[in-house]
Amino acid sequence: MKRLTLAIAAAAMLATAPASHAGATLDRVMSEGKLVASTDPEYPPQSSLNADNDFEGFDIDVVREIASRMGVEVEFVTPGWDVITAGNWAGRWDVSVGSMTPTKARAEVLDFPAVYYFTPAALVVHDGNDSIKSAADASGKRIGVGVSTTYENYLNRNLEIDAEGVPAFSYQIDSPDIRTYDTDLLALDDLRLGDGVRLDAVFTALPTVLEAQKNNYPVRAVGEPLFMEPLAVATDKGDAEFDAKLAEIVSAMHADGTLSKLSEKWYGADLTQ
Amino acid sequence: MNRWLFELAERPAARWLLLCGLLFALLSGVDVAGLAGLGGSAGLGGSAGEVAAAGDGLFDWLLRALFALACTAGLMVLSRLAMRTQVIVTWVLLLALFLLFFYSFQLSYEYIWGRLPYLLGLGLKNGFLMGAALSVFICVVAIIASTLLALMAALARLSHNGIAVGTATFYISFFRGTPLLLQILLVYLGLPQLGVVIDPIPAAVIALSLCYGAYMAEIFRAGIQSIAHGQREAALALGLRPTLVMRLVILPQAIRVIVPPTGNQFIAMLKDSSLVSVLGAWELMYMARTHGRAEFKYMEMLITAAIIYWVLSMSLEYLQSKVEKHYAKSDARHS
Repeated sequence: MKRLTLAIAAAAMLATAPASHAGATLDRVMSEGKLVASTDPEYPPQSSLNADNDFEGFDIDVVREIASRMGVEVEFVTPGWDVITAGNWAGRWDVSVGSMTPTKARAEVLDFPAVYYFTPAALVVHDGNDSIKSAADASGKRIGVGVSTTYENYLNRNLEIDAEGVPAFSYQIDSPDIRTYDTDLLALDDLRLGDGVRLDAVFTALPTVLEAQKNNYPVRAVGEPLFMEPLAVATDKGDAEFDAKLAEIVSAMHADGTLSKLSEKWYGADLTQ
Repeated sequence: MNRWLFELAERPAARWLLLCGLLFALLSGVDVAGLAGLGGSAGLGGSAGEVAAAGDGLFDWLLRALFALACTAGLMVLSRLAMRTQVIVTWVLLLALFLLFFYSFQLSYEYIWGRLPYLLGLGLKNGFLMGAALSVFICVVAIIASTLLALMAALARLSHNGIAVGTATFYISFFRGTPLLLQILLVYLGLPQLGVVIDPIPAAVIALSLCYGAYMAEIFRAGIQSIAHGQREAALALGLRPTLVMRLVILPQAIRVIVPPTGNQFIAMLKDSSLVSVLGAWELMYMARTHGRAEFKYMEMLITAAIIYWVLSMSLEYLQSKVEKHYAKSDARHS
């Protein structure tokens, strides 16, 4: 409430937008002793809520590890994915470790200090489907994707991944009939109704598909992964020192095997190379 | 020929037969064998989730005929009861149908029971309310703020001051003319551009109050304008100042007209508070979605949330009826 009153007073004095200070985020994190991380707990095994109403998941463990290496506590906030990828976080949270792909479009509003693992992108069909056996077979079919995801970009043929060491990929699906959903899992929900009932296929991350299969969704991935997505830690623009610190911590986690161990724990495989 | 048909339709027996036939026809698209098995493999499965096909055997048609006859017989009995009993029995039947529908989903009740405390908001998250408690909190604060805004806007709209009328109409037009979700995002994402950074919950309360204030301003204006001109003239003739006329004579009478549609708005606001989940506030809809995703038990959480919202709305309806009764005192017969 106090912050709101101060904010209204500031508006009344017609405050101009604050200039970005180098080191503002890092200063805030260190002085408050708290790293505020955003997460979307609708994506097991990356992030979900357990029976004690606490966060758990691969992304959650990575953030906890980063925070402990920084010597601070961690606090989670849960803005929507659209709000996170829009940038201009205004200091509401410091970092997003949410399996975000560093595309060129996103790089205009966010910084990506470090890649922490890779995810294969998989084309998914219903178990009862036998017409789609490879990516090319899905041309012209109804394919479900999450809105504002790299999978949507791939289908629209404007995927530009702004990271180093990304394996080359080609667009193998011609003129798909793209259906977007708020989250990838809603697309899988429509796919499970039956082959061709609402969707012919879904295009999403392989771990998501495997998790769905574990929960008795009648879906399976077809063909080879269409591209390998590097997934990066994201921060708001304007704090090079904070970015450098994060990059240093993540590369240390790569080097001493912490990330590999976490990947094995949550995915059953090492996806961090 | 036509006249004969109409005369036939006047007979109760013909009507009951027609109803029975209609029910039978309606049931022809339904897999009654599956329904009778109540969520067996042929019914609406929880994990399989496939669309069930209607059966075509003789057994299925016999079952359908039986269902139709049973329903018609039941309705015939119902139509002979007193009115109040009819209402109560209808409610019970519809509720039972509802619960039957949900029962066929094969929900995991242990899961619902385990996560129910979080949906209800028994406990704190980050030192503040969560779940249904947070939804109610947002709703209450927005109700108070929007009522004040609506009253001011309605009075401004009805005044003789051009500036007041212009401001009020501009405010009402903009906040009725844009989606609430857009307004919430504007407040949350747009204001930081001006240097005003607001947390999700205050942002949601502000946007909700502004939006519903605009809608309710028109309700208030309708209520005030519905009071006969004579009341105002008589009050002025008695020597009351215009402000006192409004406060002591017009508004108390206008409230009777205003309360039902305003109660409507409050109940709608309770549901619209779910939009704040876009900003990541832990209210009921957000809790239902995320706990549903955790173990892919989506239907369980959504149905639980629906029931909680319904119970909260019924409480608001009850409060509204109490308020209406209070203001209807002038209708009571004086012995």
